[in-house]
Amino acid sequence: MSFFEAIRSKAAQLSLFDKPNTTVLSKDEVFQKEFSLPALETIVDEISAEVCVIPPASKDTQGNNQFYQGKLYLTPKFLVFRDVYDRKMCLFALHLSTVKKLERVPTRSYVFALSVKTYSGFSFVIQFIGIRSHSEQFSHALKVKLKENLVNIKQLRPFVETLYSEYLVAKSLAASTGAPATGTRPGHTPGVLPGLANVVHPPGGLGLEFKYPGDAKALRDKSKMRFWFGYFRANGRHLALTRVPLFYKLVRVGVPNRLRGEIWELCCGSMYVRFKNPGVYQGLLNKYKDQESLAIEEIEKDLNRSLPEYPAYQSPEGINRLRRVLTAYSWRNPDIGYCQAMNILVAALLIYMSEEQAFWCLNIICEKQVPGYYSKTMYGTLLDQKVFESLVEKTMPMLAEHISRYDIQLSVVSLPWFLSLYLSSMPLVYAFRIVDVFMLQGPRTLFQVALAVLRINGEQLLESDDDGAFILILKEYFLTLDQSAHPNSPNEKYRSVTKFQELLVVAFKEFANISDEMISQQRDRHRDKVFEGVENFVKRTQIRNLPKTKNLAQAQLSNIYSRFYGVQSHAVDIGDDGGSLMDYYAFTELMAGIAPWGSVDHSLPLNRKDFMHRLFSTWDCENRGGLSLADVAVGLNRLVEPDLMANLSNFFAMYEKDGKVDRDGMLQMSEDLLFVTAPWRDGLVLDRITQKAIESAMADKIVELKKSSVGEFVMPSQVDVDRQKIEQAQTERYLSAASGFIQRAFEYAQPEIVEAAGEADLIDLGEVTDNTNALDKKNFSDEALVRLRANAALDPDHPVSLNLPTFRMVILADETYELLFSESFAHSIDIDTPISSSDKSNRNLRDMFDGLLADGKRVANEVRRRMDDASKAETSDTKESRPRSQTNEDDEDYAFGPNDNDKDLLNGAEVEGLNDVPLDGRGQSISELKHDMNLTERIDSKNADLIEFEL
Amino acid sequence: MSTSNPVTAVKLVLLGEAAVGKSSLVLRFVSNDFQENKEPTIGAAFLTQRCTIGAKTIKFEIWDTAGQERFASLAPMYYRNAQAALVVYDVTKPASFIKARHWIRELHEQAAPNIIIALCGNKYDLIEGEIEGEDAKRKVSVEEGQKVAEEEGLLFFETSAKSGHNVNEVFMAIGHKIPEKRSETERSAGDAAREADRVDLSNVVNDTQADGWVENGQICLKYSALYDDEAGRESMGGWYFPGNITQED
Repeated sequence: MSFFEAIRSKAAQLSLFDKPNTTVLSKDEVFQKEFSLPALETIVDEISAEVCVIPPASKDTQGNNQFYQGKLYLTPKFLVFRDVYDRKMCLFALHLSTVKKLERVPTRSYVFALSVKTYSGFSFVIQFIGIRSHSEQFSHALKVKLKENLVNIKQLRPFVETLYSEYLVAKSLAASTGAPATGTRPGHTPGVLPGLANVVHPPGGLGLEFKYPGDAKALRDKSKMRFWFGYFRANGRHLALTRVPLFYKLVRVGVPNRLRGEIWELCCGSMYVRFKNPGVYQGLLNKYKDQESLAIEEIEKDLNRSLPEYPAYQSPEGINRLRRVLTAYSWRNPDIGYCQAMNILVAALLIYMSEEQAFWCLNIICEKQVPGYYSKTMYGTLLDQKVFESLVEKTMPMLAEHISRYDIQLSVVSLPWFLSLYLSSMPLVYAFRIVDVFMLQGPRTLFQVALAVLRINGEQLLESDDDGAFILILKEYFLTLDQSAHPNSPNEKYRSVTKFQELLVVAFKEFANISDEMISQQRDRHRDKVFEGVENFVKRTQIRNLPKTKNLAQAQLSNIYSRFYGVQSHAVDIGDDGGSLMDYYAFTELMAGIAPWGSVDHSLPLNRKDFMHRLFSTWDCENRGGLSLADVAVGLNRLVEPDLMANLSNFFAMYEKDGKVDRDGMLQMSEDLLFVTAPWRDGLVLDRITQKAIESAMADKIVELKKSSVGEFVMPSQVDVDRQKIEQAQTERYLSAASGFIQRAFEYAQPEIVEAAGEADLIDLGEVTDNTNALDKKNFSDEALVRLRANAALDPDHPVSLNLPTFRMVILADETYELLFSESFAHSIDIDTPISSSDKSNRNLRDMFDGLLADGKRVANEVRRRMDDASKAETSDTKESRPRSQTNEDDEDYAFGPNDNDKDLLNGAEVEGLNDVPLDGRGQSISELKHDMNLTERIDSKNADLIEFEL
Repeated sequence: MSTSNPVTAVKLVLLGEAAVGKSSLVLRFVSNDFQENKEPTIGAAFLTQRCTIGAKTIKFEIWDTAGQERFASLAPMYYRNAQAALVVYDVTKPASFIKARHWIRELHEQAAPNIIIALCGNKYDLIEGEIEGEDAKRKVSVEEGQKVAEEEGLLFFETSAKSGHNVNEVFMAIGHKIPEKRSETERSAGDAAREADRVDLSNVVNDTQADGWVENGQICLKYSALYDDEAGRESMGGWYFPGNITQED
C-alpha cells in the first residue's frame, strides 16, 4: 500500500510550497547566505572598519601585516568581516566562542581601535572608521554579545578536538616545541588550546581506515596538506578562519583527503550548526532507536547499493554508519525522509567525514544548498532542470536550437548530474573535486559544470539527434576525464592537460558569470510552472487512486480535491501514514463551501451529536479523528446519491445501532433534519415543488401580459410573481414536514420488547392528560416543537425504537421530505463549481429572489407563527394518536404508503373532520397547501402554452 | 524509406517499484550479466540493444527509471514518446504489484495511446520450484498477473534477471508487436502527432500510394499513413484531412 500512502503524503507536501516564496530575501537572509551562517545570526550592528590579522607567529604588530578596509558585522554569535573591494581579499566569520580577549588599543585620540585575541593566539586589530559614537556603540554591543556567549565557551574544546586542522597544528607545534605529549602545563603551548597538546587524532571519515579513493601521490596530497598547514598558521582555522584569496585557490585545486571533511563543513556552514547543536545527532539516534518507518524501509533497500565498489561499503562498519546518518536525517526532517541519491551523497560524505559531520552537512545540503531536490515531489530538481535549460538557451543558442529542433529533452540527460552532485556521473575522484567547489560557492557550481560539459562536447552533440545519443556521448566523456584534452597537440604542455582540468577551466572561467542572482531569478521565473506540473501529476495520481465513486464525475473529483487541499492549508494534519487528514473544523469549512446547510456557527458550544459531527464521524470510517481525501470523496459520493432508497438507508445508518434508532436517536434525527432543511425553510434554496410553482406563476403572468398586449409581444426580461406566497408555501411545507416527521416517528416506532404492554399504556394515558392540560392553557411557546419532543423523550419507561422500514415509511409519508431525500438534498451540494468561484453558490433562481433576504424578518415572524400553530396541531395529533390509530388502521396503512402525494391532504382533511380539538394552525396550513396544489395543477396546464409561446 | 535491412528504433521505458529489478532486467538483456548490489538508478539510465526478429532489426532504446516513490513525478519525462513499456513487479512483494497496476493506469492515461506494455513479475528465481503454501515466498500468483494483463491488454511474463529466465522473451515479444512501418523517422504516434505539419507529404504519397491521394490540389492522407494507431484511426473516422498541412517543397 505504500504507493497510495506515499502519493497522499506527496499531496501533503504540496501545501508546503503552495505559495512559492520569491527570492526577495531580507537583508539578514542575504547576509546569512553569503557567510553560510545559521538562521538566527541576524545583524546586531555593522560598521566600517579597517582590520589587520596578526598570526601568533608574527610578534611585531602591524609590521608586514596587511590592512583591509571593509564592513564589520556583529551577530549574536559571530563577528563577521568582509573587505570592501571585491569581497574576496579578506573575509572572516569569527565565532565569539573563539575570542579570548578583547581590549582597546591605545592610540591617538581620534582613532578608535580594538584588539581581539582568539584562543589560538591569533589577534585582529580593528580600527573603526566613522563617527566616534557609532564606534563606541559597536564595541559596546560586541562586549555585551561576548558576555552573553560566555556560557558557550566550554563547548569549544570538545568541539575543536573533532577537527583535523586543530590536530594538525597542535601536533606540529608539539613536535617543534618538544613539549611532552602529556601537556602538563596547559596554556603554555602557544597557539593551541590548553590541554590539547596531548594530541589525539580526531574522528574522521571511513577513508582513514579504508583508504581514500584515488592515488594520493598523484593527487599530490602531501604538498596540498603543507599548503593548508601554512594557511592555518597564517590565517587561523575553522571557527576563526580568515578567508584570503589563497583559500579559494586551495579549495579549487582539490582539498587533501584528511582535511576534506572539515573544509566541506566549514565552507557550507554545517560546522556552525554542528557546533551549536552538540549531541543532537546522537540524541536522534537514541530517541528513535528501533523505531520503524517508510523511510527506513527505503533506506534499507539501498544500503548495499551505495558506492558498492568502495571497500567500506562492503563491510558492516561502513554500512552501519551510512544507515545511522540516513536514518537520523529521516527522523530529523520527515518532510524529506529519504530520497534515492541521498544514499550516494552520504556514502560520499562519510568517506571524509565523521557521522556527525556528515549528518549536519547533509542537513545544510538538503535544506540550504539544493532545497527541494530530495523533497517528496522533487520539485527542486525539476525546477533546476528548467533553469538549466534556459541557461543553455542563453549561453549556447546554437545547441539550444538543435535541442529544440530534435525535440530532445535535456533534463533526462542532466538530471542525474544535479541530483547526485555528479557523484554518480563521474569517477569519484573528479566528482569530489566538483563537490569541493560546490561546498564553497553553492549550487551555481552544478550549473557551471553542466554548461561546461555541454560546451566541451558541443560539436559531437550537434551531430546527434536524440536524448539517448546525448547520454551515451556524455557517459563516454565522463569516463575519459583523466585523458588528455588535446592528445594531438604538438605542445607537450597542452597534451598534459586532462579533460577534467579543461572542464574546470571552462566551468569556472568561461561560465564565471553564472551567478547566484542569475539562478535565483531563473528559479523565480520557472517556479510556478514547475509547481503546476508537479501539482497536476500528484492530483491526477491521487484522484486515480481514490476508491470508486460512481456518483462523482472526474471534474467533480477534481473540484473536491482542490477544495480538500484548499482548506487543508488552514488545518492540515498529517496522519500516521503521512497522508493529510482534515480535522472537524476544516471539514465544516469544506462543507460550508459546497452545501447551503453546511455552515456551522462555531461560536455555539460544541455538540458532538449534531449533524455535522455525525457526518464527520460517519465519514471517518477508520476512526482516525480526521478525514482523508478518500474519506471525503466517498462521503460526498454518498450524499449526492440519486437513489431514494439508498439515501434513506444511508441517513438511517448514521443513527442506527443494531438496526434500530432509539428515542434519543429519533429526536436527534428530527433535529438534524431541521438543521439540514434550514436553507429551504428560510427560502434560500428552492426545491422542485417550489420551482414548479414559480414557473407556473410566471407562466400565468406572461400569458396575462400577452393577452393584454397589442401587436408584437416582447418577452419581458423579468416577471414579477407573488414570491411571498410561494416562499411561504415552501416554508410551511418544511415546517409541516418537520412536525409530521417527529409525530409519525413516535407514532410508528416499535415499543421495545422489554417493556410490558399494559404498563406502557398506562403511562401513555398519563402523558396524554399532561399534554391536554398544556394545550388547555394555550401555553405554547416558540419551542413547542422542542417541548413536544422533550415530552416524548421524557418517557424513559417506555423505550421505543425505529427500524429502517418504519423510517422509510415515515419519510415517504411526506412529499417534501421524500423530495428532500430523492433530490433536494443531493442537488443542494455543489461540487461542480471550482473553488475560485465558490462565492456564486447554488442559488438557481437567485436573481429573481434577490429581495428575499431583505424580507428575512417578516419571513422569520411568519415561520414562528406557523411553527406555533403547527406544533399545536401536532401535539393534539400525538394526543389523539392512540385512539385514532385503532379506528383508522386501514386508512393509515394506505395513507403512509410511499409516493402518495395526496396523503398529506387526505390525512389533514381527516384530522380536520374527525377531531374536535381546534386545529386552526394545521388545518389552515393544509388548506393552503391544498390551494397550492390546485394552483400548481392549474398552472401546469398553462405551461403548455408557455412552451408553445417560447417556440 | 524502406531499405533492405530496416532498423526499427523502439523507445522502451521501464517502470516499477524500487528494487524490483528493473535495472537488473536491462543488464541481463543488454550484457547478459547480473550484479547482486546494483546502485539505485538516479533519474534514469539509458542503454541500447539491437536484436533481430525475423526480417527486421530492432534497436531498443531503453530508459531505465528510478523506482522510488518520489521519482514518479519525473516519470512522464521518460515515458514521453515511448512505444513500449516494461512494468515490473517483484513476485514476492505484493505492494510492488499494486504499484505496477498504478503504472499501467498512468501509462494508459498519459502515454502514447498505442504503447505496448509488458507486465513482468520479476525475481522468479526466488520462487522457482516452490510449493504453494502459507509461508511460500511467492506473494503474487501467476493468475493474478495474467488477469491484470488480460484485462489491460498487456504482454505478461514472469522473469528472473538473475537466472535469465524469460528475459529475452519479454523483449522479443515486444519486438514482435512493434509494427513494421515504424522507423527512425517516424518514431511514435506522439512524435507523428506533434510533427504532423512537418511530415514530408510528397514522400508519403509516393511511397504509399494506397494511403494518400491528391484531391483539389490538396493532399489527403489515410489516417494510418500518419498514425499507426487503432484508437486514433477510429476517432478520426479513419481518415486524416490535412486542412492545416501545407506541402513543403
